[in-house]
Amino acid sequence: MQQGKLRMFIAAFAMVGSGLLLAPGSAQAVPSFARQTGFACEACHTVFPELTPFGRRFKMNAYTIDNLPQVSGMTPTKEQTLALNQLPPLSFMLQMSYTKTKGALPDSNLVPGDLAKNGQVLVPQQASLFYAGKIAPNFGAFVQITYDGVDNGFAWDNTDVRYARTVNDKMLWGISFNNNPTVQDPWNSTPAWQSPFDQRSSVAPGPGAATLLDGSQFDMSTAGMSVYAYFNNSIYAEFGAYHGAPNGFGQIDSAVDVPVIDGLAPYWRLAYEREWGRKSLEFGAYGMVAKVFPANSVQTGPSDKYSDWAIDSQYQYIGDQHLLTFTGTYIDEKQTLDATFGAGGSANASNDMKTLRLNASYYYQRKYGAALGYFSTTGSEDSGLYAQGDPVTGFANNKPDSKGWTAELDWVPYQNTKFALQYTMYNKFNGGDTNYDGLGRDAKDNNTLYLLSWINF
Amino acid sequence: MKKIIAIAAGALLASGTGVALAQSHQDAKTLATDVCSACHGPTGHSISPVFPRLAGQQSGYIIVQLDAFRNHTRGDPNAQAYMWGMSSQLSDDTIKALANYYASQKPVDGKPGTPALMAEGKKIYTQGIKAQNVQACDICHGPEAQGAGAFPRLAGQHVDYLIAQLQGFQTGTRSNAPIMQNVVRTMTPEQLKAAATYAASK
Repeated sequence: MQQGKLRMFIAAFAMVGSGLLLAPGSAQAVPSFARQTGFACEACHTVFPELTPFGRRFKMNAYTIDNLPQVSGMTPTKEQTLALNQLPPLSFMLQMSYTKTKGALPDSNLVPGDLAKNGQVLVPQQASLFYAGKIAPNFGAFVQITYDGVDNGFAWDNTDVRYARTVNDKMLWGISFNNNPTVQDPWNSTPAWQSPFDQRSSVAPGPGAATLLDGSQFDMSTAGMSVYAYFNNSIYAEFGAYHGAPNGFGQIDSAVDVPVIDGLAPYWRLAYEREWGRKSLEFGAYGMVAKVFPANSVQTGPSDKYSDWAIDSQYQYIGDQHLLTFTGTYIDEKQTLDATFGAGGSANASNDMKTLRLNASYYYQRKYGAALGYFSTTGSEDSGLYAQGDPVTGFANNKPDSKGWTAELDWVPYQNTKFALQYTMYNKFNGGDTNYDGLGRDAKDNNTLYLLSWINF
Repeated sequence: MKKIIAIAAGALLASGTGVALAQSHQDAKTLATDVCSACHGPTGHSISPVFPRLAGQQSGYIIVQLDAFRNHTRGDPNAQAYMWGMSSQLSDDTIKALANYYASQKPVDGKPGTPALMAEGKKIYTQGIKAQNVQACDICHGPEAQGAGAFPRLAGQHVDYLIAQLQGFQTGTRSNAPIMQNVVRTMTPEQLKAAATYAASK
C-alpha cells in the first residue's frame, strides 16, 4: 500500500511537473549544417526551425550532404570507410527570455522554484551545444546537449542519429535512432518540431495534462529506432519502436523521476506530400502504443497503456517575398490505467484524451513574421488524476481540459537570429475558465507574455 | 530489440559510397541522384521554380554556370544560398560529367501561357524590340529555345525561374552574363514575363 501511495504521488508529481515544464521548446536550426553544406539557412528552413521541402530531404538523407574538404579513408576495393569533415560540425544556441503572466503566481506552492515569480528573466533560458552533421558516408547525427536555466542543469536534448541510402531517384530509405517520438519526423505539424510555436515559456504555468505524443512526459528518457522510406518524393512510411531509457537520456547531472516505457512501444508514421511550384501540401497519420510505468523508480508490476492515433497536415507556400505555412494535428488517445488505477491514483480504469492544434504563420521576406494558433486538450473527467488541491496546478472540476490561442510576432534580422514576442491566452485551463484550481485562480490569470531572443552560431 | 539493432548495425557496416562531392571520380549519375535531385528533381525535372530544370540543358552552359558558382562570379541570391556551397568541392572532371548527364536527359515539354502573353512573347523572342534596342532572343537561344553551347536551353524551363533570372540581370544580382544584362536593360516587367512565357513554352 505504501508503495502504491508512493507511486500515486510520483505519478501525480510527474504529470503536473511535465505539465508545468510542457514543451519548453527545442531547437533545430544549426549553423553547423550550413557550414557543412555551404547552404544558407534558407535552403533548409523557411525560418528556423521550420523545414522547407529541401530541408526535409536533407534530414531524410541523414544530414550527410556536404561540401567540405574531407578526411577520407578507402579500402583497396574502393569502399569508402571514412569521410569526416575536417572540422567538427559544432554549433551553439543561446536563448534568453522574459516571461510575464497576467496574474502573479502565489509564493506558496508545491514545487518551489518551478513556478517563478512574475516578470521572469532567464539568461539563458537554454544554451545548447550541438553536434549536427555528417559522421561517415550515409551516416549523420543531430545531437543536442542543453543547459536549461529553469532546471539549472545539463540534459540530453533532441537526439537523432541516422543512416540513409538513396536507392534511385524515386526512393530512399533510412534508419533513425532517436530519443523522442516525432523528433525524427520531417514535417513541422507533428509535436516535437511543431511550427510556429516550437518555443513557449518554460516558467509560465502550462496545462497540467497532455496526450502522450503531444506532451513531453518522457523528457527524452526513451531510446527509439525506426526504419523509414520515401517513395517518389511523395509517400513517406516509417515504423519503429521505443524502449525506456531512464538512465540513458534525460538530465545528465540530476535524477528526474520521469515516466518510463515498459517493454517496446511501437511507433508508426505514414504521410503523403505533394509539391507543386512553390507550394507543398502534406497529409499524414502517426501513432504510438506505449505501456508506461508512471515513474522510473518503480519499474515492476502493472503499467498504464496509452494508445495514440493522430492525423496531421501541413501546407507551405515559399515565395521570394511571402511565405505562408499552415500546420495542424489531432491526437486521439485511449488510456488504460492499470498501474495508476490499481494504486488509487485515478478514479477511472480507463480514460481518453484528445489534442487539437491548428496554426498559421506568415513571413515577409523571411524577416518579419506573424503567427496565430489554436490549441485544445480535452479528456475524461477523473477526480483521481485531475484533483483539486494545489494552487495554480490543481483541477477543481476534475477535468484535464485546456484551450486557448497563441499569437506571435517575429523579427529575424539575420538568418540565424530571431526575436519573438508571443502571447498565450487561455480560455480554459486545467478544466475550468474561472476558479479552475478551486483557490480563486482563473484560466486567464495564466495568460502569458513571452519575449524570446534566439541566436544560433 | 536486440535483433533489430543487429540488423541496423549490419546495414551500417554495409554502407557503400557516400554523397560527398569531393571525389571527382564519382559517377555523375550517382551524384545527380543522391544530391542534385533533392532540388533539381529526378533526371533534372525539378518541381519548384526556385530550381531550374536541367534535363536537356546545354552541357556547355552547365559547365560555365557550375564554374561561375564555384568561383563566385555568379552571385544571385539563390546561387549564393545553394550553389556556392554545392559547387565548392567539384572538380573540373565532375562538372563535365554532370553537364553531360543532364544534357542527355529528356527535357520537359513546355506549356503555353495565355494567348496575349504568347503573342507578345513570340514577337519579342523572334523580332526583339527595336525601339528599346532589345535584340531577338532566337539569335542566341535558337528558334526552338533549345540553346547552343554556353547559351542555355529555355524551352520547358519554369517561367518563374526565367523571370527571376531576367530580373537578376536587370538589377545586377546576376552579373555573370554581360550580353543578357545589356539585352534586358530597358525591358518592362510585362515584356520580361511575355518573353519568358514564350521561351519556356517551346
